[in-house]
Order: sequence, then structure tokens, then C-alpha cells
Amino acid sequence: MARTITYIDAINEALHQEMERDSRVCILGEDLGMGGGVFKATAGLYQKFGEERVLDSPLAEGIIIAAAIGASLVGYRPVPEIQFADFIGDAVDPILQQAAKLRYRSAGGYSCPITIRVCWGGGTGGGLYHSQENTTWFAHEPGIRVLAPSTAYDAKGMLIAAIRDENPVLFFEHKKLYRTAKSEVPEEPYTVSLDEAAVRRPGRDMTVLTYGYMASVVMEAAEEMAKRGVDAEVVDLRTLAPLDKKTIVESVRKTNRCLIVHEDTKTLGIGAELSAILNEEAFDDLDAPIMRVTGPDVPPVPFSPPLEKFFMVDKEKVLAGMEKLAAY
Amino acid sequence: MATKVNRATAVGDAPASRHSPELLLGLYRMMVKCRMCDEKARILFKQGKYAGNFYSNVGQEGGEVGAAFSLREDDWVAPSHRDWTSCIVKGAPLKACFAQLYGKTDSPDRGKSTPAHMGYPELHIITPASTIAAQLMIGTGVAWGLKRQAKDSVVVSFCGDGATSIGWFHEALNFAGVHRLPMLYVVQNNLWAESVPLRLQTALTDLSDRAKGHGITGVSVDGNDILAVYDAATKAIARARAGQGPTVLECKTYRWYGHSEIDPAKYRMPEEVAEWKKKDPIPRFEKYLADRKLLSDQIKKQVRDEITREIDEAVEFAEKSPYPAPEEALEHIWA
Ligand SMILES: Cc1ncc(C[n+]2csc(CCOP(=O)(O)OP(=O)(O)O)c2C)c(N)n1
Ligand SMILES: [Mg+2]
Repeated sequence: MARTITYIDAINEALHQEMERDSRVCILGEDLGMGGGVFKATAGLYQKFGEERVLDSPLAEGIIIAAAIGASLVGYRPVPEIQFADFIGDAVDPILQQAAKLRYRSAGGYSCPITIRVCWGGGTGGGLYHSQENTTWFAHEPGIRVLAPSTAYDAKGMLIAAIRDENPVLFFEHKKLYRTAKSEVPEEPYTVSLDEAAVRRPGRDMTVLTYGYMASVVMEAAEEMAKRGVDAEVVDLRTLAPLDKKTIVESVRKTNRCLIVHEDTKTLGIGAELSAILNEEAFDDLDAPIMRVTGPDVPPVPFSPPLEKFFMVDKEKVLAGMEKLAAY
Repeated sequence: MATKVNRATAVGDAPASRHSPELLLGLYRMMVKCRMCDEKARILFKQGKYAGNFYSNVGQEGGEVGAAFSLREDDWVAPSHRDWTSCIVKGAPLKACFAQLYGKTDSPDRGKSTPAHMGYPELHIITPASTIAAQLMIGTGVAWGLKRQAKDSVVVSFCGDGATSIGWFHEALNFAGVHRLPMLYVVQNNLWAESVPLRLQTALTDLSDRAKGHGITGVSVDGNDILAVYDAATKAIARARAGQGPTVLECKTYRWYGHSEIDPAKYRMPEEVAEWKKKDPIPRFEKYLADRKLLSDQIKKQVRDEITREIDEAVEFAEKSPYPAPEEALEHIWA
């Protein structure tokens, strides 16, 4: 039975259901037990599963991830949480040097099936240290999946798939979507592929590649452009690593134009990689240069409302980008 | 592996030992084995037989053997760069250990990791990264898992004096303290972290005092006295098995050679090195054993001859073991 629920409720439901299904699943992080999480993503878990499986950790991001890694070596499937992406710095070594490389450096002798939930993204007045995106720090590293779902349906299905996956996973949850994104979500557990992008809106005239909160912004812009006579195909990447090159390249071969939209700052954002892939694999199919609409190269995200508005990509900025590409 | 018999030993009118002859000779044999394997590893590197680098543990065998000798097969070891010999103590076959140096397919990681960063999954030895102190954090996570499974297995991690300065050391100790985890943190204080002397590393005299800040037990021992290490370690391990929590065990010792085989260590005073070589843990233990009439020149020779044969076989095996195919670089990234 499906009903309409929010992105955060979808995440909460996925955690409840996976913890019920598999006693090896446990969660740890700051304030997520007795407090139910600063956004209430983990509400009710502590009450249902107890401190044994829902652990309020010390305020130390490094050991949150490392304890999860260690526990995964003795059979657990931990789901540690980084409260805000902005504070992931102390956990970068555990994530990149340990989790992502354990399988490689032991030639498959050790496996590290952990799912790291990370709350990210701007547009909520969070300022410089509660708004950041750092998905590409990790997407650069082979050996760890980087996911960024944009809908409640995907949030539940991808989180369940991630917990069941043998690879380490970074699961980026956009805080602006928590209560604004709603979709029809089945009550029963289900999985969504961790290897495929989703074509959210088929179209003929251009491809727009995006993910996360931007996916909803781009969808609105695409509907507006349809009224103006431009039929855009919207591809929601969903997984930033590994990238679903097939869907991306096929879409651009069909539409012959590509706009990349991300909230992240421009330089070396995922758009740079997408553009390089298309250059390598779809150059002959392009009728226009690949264009980008992204956050500006300033520390994300300055606080004062006009500054935040300047930083964030919104519908108007996307429309301007689409118009420019269509007119080329 | 080690016998855990602790009955008193007295032969004729020789002084008694609180340990059995089997245990004492086992410890002795393992110390000599580690020393000989390590010296062999150094020679092979100097001869250009393998690439990369090697971080010698010579001089530190008291800590390495004393701390890990009593471990059971289901216990875990979290080694660092200077702990290749801890794999030998845990029971890894010498053939695998030397294949590790050579980066061959018969190494446990098929040549993925550098010579000294050896793990051995079947024996629960965690393949280390180079990041100092990372092994302490992951080992602590393993201990957390073991405790939750209500197992009485323990985790023994190794690190140096330098590693006690980095934040991760403290995150690990703090977490282990909160959850009273079955962890033994062995700190091999060899007075140097690469070229940085201890006085620039910390204001502490005893690194075991680091434990106090985390509400856990800390013990400092003479790392060149293998029995002092063994006794402190077995006590800490017994406490850990009984759910009484983690221990930091500082072994005061000395790194005989350079930080690695490419470091001439010109920054140290020759007198300091000479002074410490006089405190070599092996002759010291030989004297202890000889005083108790447990060791003769003949046994010494026999021990060395046996180990030499084992090493020769292992080196020959490693040299014959094939290198990985270049494309193996693409394997073991994803499940
Ligand atoms: C986080 C980190 N910083 C720096 C290094 C480079 N490095 C490798 S070993 C070492 C010194 C380690 O000293 P200590 O902890 O005392 O161990 P020892 O080498 O003496 O056994 C340094 C600086 C590293 N591997 N990891
Ligand atoms: Mg040192």
C-alpha cells in the first residue's frame, strides 16, 4: 500500500524496517538516539531497538565512522550518521583512507558494508557551517558509493538498498528536501538501484543533468520551458559515484544539448566530470557547448538572506541557463 | 601458540620463575624469530630484492612479542607500519610474510599494500593503512562489535609514541572507555617519531598517563623486559575478556635503526643508540633463562638453526611467487 509521505519519513521508515529485518543493522551518531536526531530522521528507533542498536556517540566524527568500520568487520551492518556534512572533516580519513580502501588494500580479505548518512545542502538559512555540499570530495575516490536521492520514494528505496549493499556507501540527504519532498511511497520495504540515474522527464530538445534538491528546481523550470516551446529531458543522477554513464550519454546523444545544474560550487563540482565524460563519449552528438548553472565559487553558503539567495541556484537561474542553451 | 600455564619454575637451586619453562622458551623462540626475520627483511631490502620500504622493529621485540604472544586465534590484532613481526607472533606463515615484502600474489593482499603494512584476515589481523593511529580507531570498532556479540575475544593494537599525539588516538580511547571495550592499546615508545624526539611530542613522562584523561587503565613497563610486558599484557587481556575494559600499555623501548631503511637517522646521537643497544631485550632474556638453567648454547644454536631454515624456505618461496598481473590493479575495488 502506497501513501504520500515526506522524504524524512521515508528515511525513518527505511531505518525502522531494515532494523526489524536484520539484527546486524545498528546506528550510531550524535543526538540520534534519545533525541531522535536533530531533524528527527531517527525518531522512535531508540525506543524500539534500545541503546544496544541505537547509540548516541561521543561528539567525535572520526570514531563514529571508525567504530562503524570496525563493527562491520565482525559482521554488523552499521549506519553511522554525520549530523551535518560541514563537520565531516574529522571523518575524512576514516571514510576515504579506511572504508573506501579496506577491500582494496586487503585484496578482498576485508569488506566494509557501512552506510554513512550525511545531512547536506543549503537554502535553509543555515549559513557557512550548516549548508555545505562536499559530495565530490568522496565521489573522487574509487571504492565508496556516493548517493544523493531527490525524492521520498528514492530516499527509502536507496537507503534500504545501501544498507544491504556490500560496499561502503555515503548517503547524502538534502535537508531542504526533508519536509518539502513528498511522494507516493509503498509501506513495504523495496529497493531502488544504486547504479542507475533516473530520467524524470523525457524530452527532445536538451538534457539537464542534476541531483538532490536541484532536481525539484529543475523539474519546475522544465515545465515552464515546455510552455515556452523547449522540451527538456531531466536526468536525476541519484548516484554520484559510480556515475551511470550509460543513461547520461544516451540522453545527450538523443537531445544533442546538455545543461548541468548543481548547487555545489562550480570549480571541480561534479559538472566538470560530467562535461569531460560527454566530451569523451558524445562529442560528435553535441550541437552546442555543454553549459553549467552552479553555485558560485565562494564559501558555501553565506548567511544573510540576500547573500544566500545570491549563492543558491533557483528556478530563475535555471531558466536563464536553459534559454541560453536553447538559443545557441 | 602460547601455553597459558603459569606454574612456578624452579630447576635445582636456580632462582624460580613465575612462568613455566614451555612458556619461557616459547617467548624466547618467538623473540629470536622476530629479530631474525626482521634483520632478514632489512638485508633483502638493502639487496634490492623488493621495492618500497621497511620499518624495522629490531630492539622492540619485548613489546611486540610480550603483548601478542598469549593471544588466541579468535583475538584480533591491529598493527601499524612497524609491526610486520606482530603478524608472525599472531601465527601468520612466514611464507606469506615474506611474500608480503615482495608484493607477490602469495601475500595476503596480493601486492596491493606496501611491504610493512601487512594484514592477515584469516587470523584477524587488520590490514593497516599508513595513516598513523587509524588502526587504533578501527580496532576499537572491532572491539565494540565483539563486546556487543558478548564474545570474550580481545583486540590488541600497536602504535608508536608519535601516534599518541593525534586526535584519533584520543577518540579511540575515549570511546573504548565509555563502552569498557576489550581493547589493549600497546604503545611502543621508542623515543622517536621518525626524526622527532619525544620531548617535542609530549610533555608527559609516561605515555600511559594518556589513559587517565579517558578514565581508563594505563600501565608503563620496561619494554625491553619481555616478562614485564607479558605479565602486564596478560593481566590487561584477562581484564578485557572479563568485561573490565581497555588498557593502555606503554612499552619503553628504542628503535635501533632509522625510521625506515632509507633513513640514516643522522639526527640521533651515536651514544644514545649505543646505550640502548646494550639494553637489547634478547641477551637480557637469555641471561634470565640461563640463570634458571633453561637455556644452553646448544639450545640457542638449535633455535637459530631452525629459524634460519624456516626463513630460507620462506624467502625462496617469496622469490618464486609470481607478481600480480598488471590488470589486477583493477580488482577488489567494488564488491
Ligand atoms: C597521520 C599521519 N601523519 C604522518 C605520517 C607519516 N609518518 C609515518 S610514521 C611517522 C612517525 C611515527 O612515529 P611513532 O608513532 O612514534 O611510531 P614509530 O615509527 O616510532 O614506530 C610519521 C610522521 C603518517 N603515516 N600518518
Ligand atoms: Mg616512535
